[in-house]
Amino acid sequence: MAGGTAIGGSRAGLIALLSPAYLWLTAAIFLPLSAMLFFSLVTELPFGGAEWAFTLENYRAFFETPTYATLLWKSVRLGLIVTVVCLLVGFPCAYVLAKAIRGRAREALFLLVILPFWSNSLVRIFSWAIVLRGNGVLDLGLNALLPFEVDVSLMFTTHAIVIGLVHSYLPYVILTSYLALQAIDDNLIDAARSMGAGKLTILWRLILPLSLPGLVAGAVLIFVPVVGAFMEPRILGGRVGTYYGTVIEDQFVAVYNWPLGAALSFILLAVVLFILAVASPMLKRAQA
Amino acid sequence: MTKRLICAAALAAMAGAGAVQAEEIRVLNWQGYGTDLDWAVEAFTEETGHTVVHEYFNSEQEMLTKLRTNPGAYDVVLINAAFTPQAQEEGLIAPIDKEKIENLADVPADMAENQDLNADGELYGVPWTWGLTAYAFNTQAFDEAPTSVEVFWDEAHAGRVSIRDDALEAVQFAAIATGQDINDIQDMEAIEAKLTELMPQIKTYWGSENDWNQFMAAGELDVATYWSGSASRSIASGLPVQFVVPEEGAVGWLDGLSVPESSTKMDAAHAFIDWMIDPEFYVKWAEEGAPASANAKAAEALPEDAFNRQVLGDPEVVARVQFQRPVSDEDREAYLALWQKLKAAQ
Amino acid sequence: MSGAMLARLGKVWLGLILVFLYAPILVMAAMSFNASPYYQLPFEFTVEWYEKLSENRGILRAAARSVGIAMVTTVIATVLGTAASLALFRYEFRGKAVLRVLLFPPIAIPWLITGTAMLVFFFGIGLGRGTPAVIVGHVALALPYVIVVVTARLATFDPTLEEAARVLGAGGWTVTRRVTLPWIAPGIIAGALFAFAISFDQFVVSYFLSEPGDSTLPVVIYTAIRKGFTPEINAVSTLIIVVSMAVMLVAARFSNFGGER
Repeated sequence: MAGGTAIGGSRAGLIALLSPAYLWLTAAIFLPLSAMLFFSLVTELPFGGAEWAFTLENYRAFFETPTYATLLWKSVRLGLIVTVVCLLVGFPCAYVLAKAIRGRAREALFLLVILPFWSNSLVRIFSWAIVLRGNGVLDLGLNALLPFEVDVSLMFTTHAIVIGLVHSYLPYVILTSYLALQAIDDNLIDAARSMGAGKLTILWRLILPLSLPGLVAGAVLIFVPVVGAFMEPRILGGRVGTYYGTVIEDQFVAVYNWPLGAALSFILLAVVLFILAVASPMLKRAQA
Repeated sequence: MTKRLICAAALAAMAGAGAVQAEEIRVLNWQGYGTDLDWAVEAFTEETGHTVVHEYFNSEQEMLTKLRTNPGAYDVVLINAAFTPQAQEEGLIAPIDKEKIENLADVPADMAENQDLNADGELYGVPWTWGLTAYAFNTQAFDEAPTSVEVFWDEAHAGRVSIRDDALEAVQFAAIATGQDINDIQDMEAIEAKLTELMPQIKTYWGSENDWNQFMAAGELDVATYWSGSASRSIASGLPVQFVVPEEGAVGWLDGLSVPESSTKMDAAHAFIDWMIDPEFYVKWAEEGAPASANAKAAEALPEDAFNRQVLGDPEVVARVQFQRPVSDEDREAYLALWQKLKAAQ
Repeated sequence: MSGAMLARLGKVWLGLILVFLYAPILVMAAMSFNASPYYQLPFEFTVEWYEKLSENRGILRAAARSVGIAMVTTVIATVLGTAASLALFRYEFRGKAVLRVLLFPPIAIPWLITGTAMLVFFFGIGLGRGTPAVIVGHVALALPYVIVVVTARLATFDPTLEEAARVLGAGGWTVTRRVTLPWIAPGIIAGALFAFAISFDQFVVSYFLSEPGDSTLPVVIYTAIRKGFTPEINAVSTLIIVVSMAVMLVAARFSNFGGER
């Protein structure tokens, strides 16, 4: 209803309460994004008396050089791989937590799973660098355990990047799946079992569909950041650590070609929004 | 502090009678590159009363952007000689007042009159340090010391080689390996082919000294490109590595200290630059490991067995060095595009 | 396979995953007590790095800055976020759903893009880089989380309580202060702790908005990893993890994390 009904309080109250937060978001997120769009369309940054003009050159650069498209695909593929691994690894965990463990133990274990998620992701990646390097803990540990010589130098490979990313983002999917699984009424499962449905059938036809929104939410929370990842590939990837995210980072930090960086960012944003749009019908169900 | 500097400061104090006040100067440089050593800054402040505040950059492009967009913010800036002409053409830096830098007299003519540091008969960057980008190897991985750059392409060392993640360095490295003039690269196809062959040999890129040290210490690398100054530090810290200036040659670079055009504290800035090329500062810095000084007197003052004397004092070695000249924007973009393409294909 | 065996397998899997999640952190913590500066084994116990850490002014300054920024961010984000949550709770109006959706960009857009966009925009309006810019960025990132947490708590609040208070003659602010806030206090505290954790651990946005030589702790760590470091970084990293986890443990107490009891 226009004018707003309130549980008490006036229009002025509404505005007073609401605007600071949204003004802040506007100034800090929406205006910058608009500014980025503007900068992606100019030749030089219009500061310090530089001459500048509008141009589509930066976007054209993306389409003309196969390098950028290759890297974008590389990043998207990385996002898909990490998401799938997280789903495969995390869903069973969430299921066990939601259904097979009860009471205090469940709360405690859940907390244990979620805690690393809240610690500094950079530091956790760094800890993987220590574990995975040659002559590192993994190498020496395995050699101590196994009877034969093994040279486990995972450092600076795509495997290392995937391991690091899975480690960082696994708790996301466990969290969302857990919340979705928790909402499934146990009675439903009991009823199905009493009607003679086998475990696989229950899983496939009952549990998965009902928890799908949670899975999709987790997948989105993982895919979006991973596609733009640069810190993990740089630290763990070495020679193979060049991704779309690292190229964008380079434009802003080393090469100082901000217009190109802005254009590349927007192309990434378009891809991400597209994927979100495709996934949103399922996400809406998750929120219901 | 040399007597000269004390006299200069005293004279200036008397002549200026209050014109020399304690100023705060801002120095723009790489982090950890000599000018921000605690003891050096303290000594300077003690003698002149001026305080020093540092700001850092992570790339030459960043340095140029900072100069362009912050007039009046900096008083001393480190500019690699290959970039000084660009800074001078853009009007970012002021001519050096040679009168105010006593130690300039000890800088040999070939450096002081370096074509990139001078323009229109004026000096725009005081030659400060110079060094080489060549390579160092892990002595535990070789029976005999390698002498050629081709060791990087040797399959025996596949996956145990490293270079810095920098387009210009990579291209110039390949230029040396293909026998070209680094400042006038004619055959880009050869460069691309050479680098394409190199990529599978590389384990990872190194970005800093300690990066480099970590990898060598962990035994992950056999050979990697490196800077002469950093090599002296790594060797001093006990790593089993040796620096090599290969027969094909090496890239030489010269760093200069300049004063931004917009600085309001030029006197203090010049005093700081004078201290930086002072032998007293240099010898102490070299103990910890430093590039070669442009001040001949400072270089002379080094102990006999100092790294810089041994490696860089050898005229045969110096003859193989190709010093960097400015690179045109076009070329730079071409190198960057090539390097990105090579990296993306991994 | 029997249900019991499946359940046991499932628990083993969960256990393995917990090992996976914690192993590198424990290794890093262990290495921070190892004497070798190059992470070489065999292990030699020492607290040398922690001692060096206490003398490393650069890192300590960055840590202090991180904590300071996090505290300012927490205060601002909590106040703004709680206010917005109250508004969304009390009022019905057109466009409310749109406003709800607008909360998502900070979460839905890769931080790389948000960070660089802020860098470019702040540069343009003259705010530049540095601590004020970092705070603006952190608050923007934390706001959605605060609003979500407080809103969740508000969902358990009976709106008729407010109405009753008003009917009894209490004015708007009094109602809020004496009826609403006490009830949602756990949610506010949880939101505040979230905001603190998000700001303290924030890397990507801080990375682009910090001045070199004047940055937050995660940025210092990243620069150190990229450009050269000593195991003091290991020591400070271990400390950060311990602090973050402790903060979140406390937050979990206040917010209903594990679902129903």
